[in-house]
Amino acid sequence: MSWVTITWSMIASACLTLAAINFLTWCRNREAWANLFFSLLATGTTAFAFCELGMMRVATPAQFGTVLKWAHVPTWLIVVSLVGFVRLYLKAGRPWLAWTVCGLRTLALALNFLVGQNLNYLEVTRLRSIPFLGESVQIPDGVHNPWMLVGQLSLLALVIFAADAAVTVWRRGDRREALTVGGSVVFFTIASAGQSILVLWGIVQVPLTASLSFMGLVAVMGYELSSEMIRATQLARDLRVSQAGSRENEQRMSLAVDAANLGIWIRDVARNKIWASAKWRQLFGFTSSEPLDFECILRRLHPDDREVFQQVLTEALAGVGSYDTEFRLSMPDGGLRWISSHGQVEFDATGEPVRIRGASRDITEHKRADQETQLLRREVAHVGRVTMMGQLASALAHEINQPLGAILRNAEAAELFMQDASPDMDEIRAIVADIRKDDQRAGAVIDRIRGLLKQQPLNTRELDVSELVGDVRALVRVDAAARQVKLQVDVPSDLPLVRGDRVHLQQVLLNVILNGMDALNGATGGERCLRVSALCNETQSVEIAVSDTGSGIPADKLVHIFDPFFTTKPNGMGMGLAISRTIIEAHGGRFWAENNATGGATFRFTVPIAERVTTK
Amino acid sequence: MSMTAPIVQIVDDDRSFLTATSRLLRASGFAVKTFSSAGEFLAQLDTDAPGCVVADLQMPGMNGLDLQSALARSSNPVPILFLTGHGDIPSSVVAMRSGAEDFLEKRAPKEKLLDAVRRAMARDAQEREERNRQQELRARFDILTKREFEVLAHVVQGRLNKQIAGDLGIHERTVKLHRTAITTKLGVQSVAELTRLTDEAGIFTASAPTFPKGQ
Repeated sequence: MSWVTITWSMIASACLTLAAINFLTWCRNREAWANLFFSLLATGTTAFAFCELGMMRVATPAQFGTVLKWAHVPTWLIVVSLVGFVRLYLKAGRPWLAWTVCGLRTLALALNFLVGQNLNYLEVTRLRSIPFLGESVQIPDGVHNPWMLVGQLSLLALVIFAADAAVTVWRRGDRREALTVGGSVVFFTIASAGQSILVLWGIVQVPLTASLSFMGLVAVMGYELSSEMIRATQLARDLRVSQAGSRENEQRMSLAVDAANLGIWIRDVARNKIWASAKWRQLFGFTSSEPLDFECILRRLHPDDREVFQQVLTEALAGVGSYDTEFRLSMPDGGLRWISSHGQVEFDATGEPVRIRGASRDITEHKRADQETQLLRREVAHVGRVTMMGQLASALAHEINQPLGAILRNAEAAELFMQDASPDMDEIRAIVADIRKDDQRAGAVIDRIRGLLKQQPLNTRELDVSELVGDVRALVRVDAAARQVKLQVDVPSDLPLVRGDRVHLQQVLLNVILNGMDALNGATGGERCLRVSALCNETQSVEIAVSDTGSGIPADKLVHIFDPFFTTKPNGMGMGLAISRTIIEAHGGRFWAENNATGGATFRFTVPIAERVTTK
Repeated sequence: MSMTAPIVQIVDDDRSFLTATSRLLRASGFAVKTFSSAGEFLAQLDTDAPGCVVADLQMPGMNGLDLQSALARSSNPVPILFLTGHGDIPSSVVAMRSGAEDFLEKRAPKEKLLDAVRRAMARDAQEREERNRQQELRARFDILTKREFEVLAHVVQGRLNKQIAGDLGIHERTVKLHRTAITTKLGVQSVAELTRLTDEAGIFTASAPTFPKGQ
């Protein structure tokens, strides 16, 4: 055995091993084309190494020519697999250059078999023995084949292709890959091509050792592939870790969601498909298998809340991006459930809504507590008002009783004095003067009280009736829901503007609506409905009517309901309608009440249209 | 014992009402004195003046009820009747329980006021006469000696001379002597008359606790 035999055998076996490993890799993962091409490259290198060793050991020139001819087959394989490897591994390189390289090499292979003894020699004439690595090896002499240039041109094209690919990769930012793969292909191709040119043109007297260069290529590519594999393993491990992390996050999230009693849902806007958590289905009263869509959820909403909900949703979808709303559900068992819902819309690049994610929460208890608090507050306020009025009345009575009592006593005394035969006129004059003084005193008390209760001046401006009604509706919405009164508003949007004091008119409308709800308190059967409507009448004013479906007003009370301190309620003050009528009359309108033919009562008041109505 | 005419004393912080009321009462024939506060009235309280007090219930400083209790503790507890701007049930209950003659609204009819004043006057006269009679009777008992008083206490309980002698540790004859002295001093003829007189003077009823042995 000699060094040559050992070296070339080792090259061949190493390459063959790598080829086998990478071929098996490709067999298990058919998308790893880079591994296949690497396997082909290593196989080609193995074959080429054997050919080289053969050429060094041949006995006759003819044998040399034959071995060299067959050596072009692995060369073709090496070149083509290099091109493939660079294309696939670096994902770079111009296709036309790649085809040029492969085409030229294939042409060279064809010429190798068609012209002369092989591509390099028309005829090998003789062999010369030279010492190489302590051994005597054969090198050829002969007539050069000019077509050899085709083969060398293909190698040049390969260098250009690899350099171009390396530049592209470098620019892309993957500098390490550009240097190792691109650089080594360029370097080793130039090295092997250079050596074979020098040897085959007979410029230097050494045997062909191109397989050393190819071996270098195989080593670099193998290293590159294995580091790629290590990276992939690393990635896989990272992925597993992050998956575990996200699973942990998911569990934490679901714990939080459960703890907060949140129902979670996601709606695919385009396909109208909804996924919802088990908790959500439980909240909304859907079974776990029932298919969900937007319509069936909308049907679950309380009819009075559907419109508002749809509006909120439309705004969110139109670009607001999120919403927070509260609504009631009419449960299949007939119960009511208050839900607080938060949603976020996800838009695509063109601004179209893709999906909505949301969380819903049961706030029924909260609402009930709220309503109770409000009711309590109202009662306390009422008691406070009554107490205050009581104190006021008490103080008023005392203040006025003093002068009135004095007047009475003085008058009685005067009467008695005048029964005398000769009345003391000075005394009587003093009495009369005192009576006058006390009368003024009583008057002053009344003036003072009146000053206290004096109304603020009206702050009139142009008002939109539907806005006015909307404001009051918002104020009583919760109240109406709590008292299970359906509030129906029927106000046309094209009503002319009216002139009035916003706060005062709101107070009147609020008063009438609350009265209406009180009237419905007694009503048990039938629909508990309060209807607020408005129309423009012929007397240049807007008439607003509030009708209830209660039991109406008894005929004997109809004439008294606007009297101060007249009340039919156990805890009423009897001031609401009296004050309301005063306010409406101060606006130049009328206020009256009537019983409906179909039951219940209607309160109507008019507010004059603003003068500028004609320009509107 | 005073011979002064009864006077209606009016107490009210409202000067105008005070004047008007005094005019009415004067025109109705009463002698009237006015005070614009409870303090002023108490400072000038005549220890022996008959009559009654007409007072406003609500006054700054000392109010009507305070005046009532101060008056009750005084040596001249004349009847009091209250006037008020408006009916105040809790105060009126307190006032009436404390023995107020009446409780009237300031604008009560004249007749009601005058009737109430007359009733108060009559009650004062009666109470005063009662007080005077009792005082006179008690004065008659003042001349009895301590021992005679002791014997009297037993006599009005209907005890026999022998028993009295045993209880007091004296001779039965001595008891007889004391009894004679008592009837002579008080000018009574019989034990029955003696018992009635003692009762009327309120001698033992009013001060019974000071005679524990009386049982």
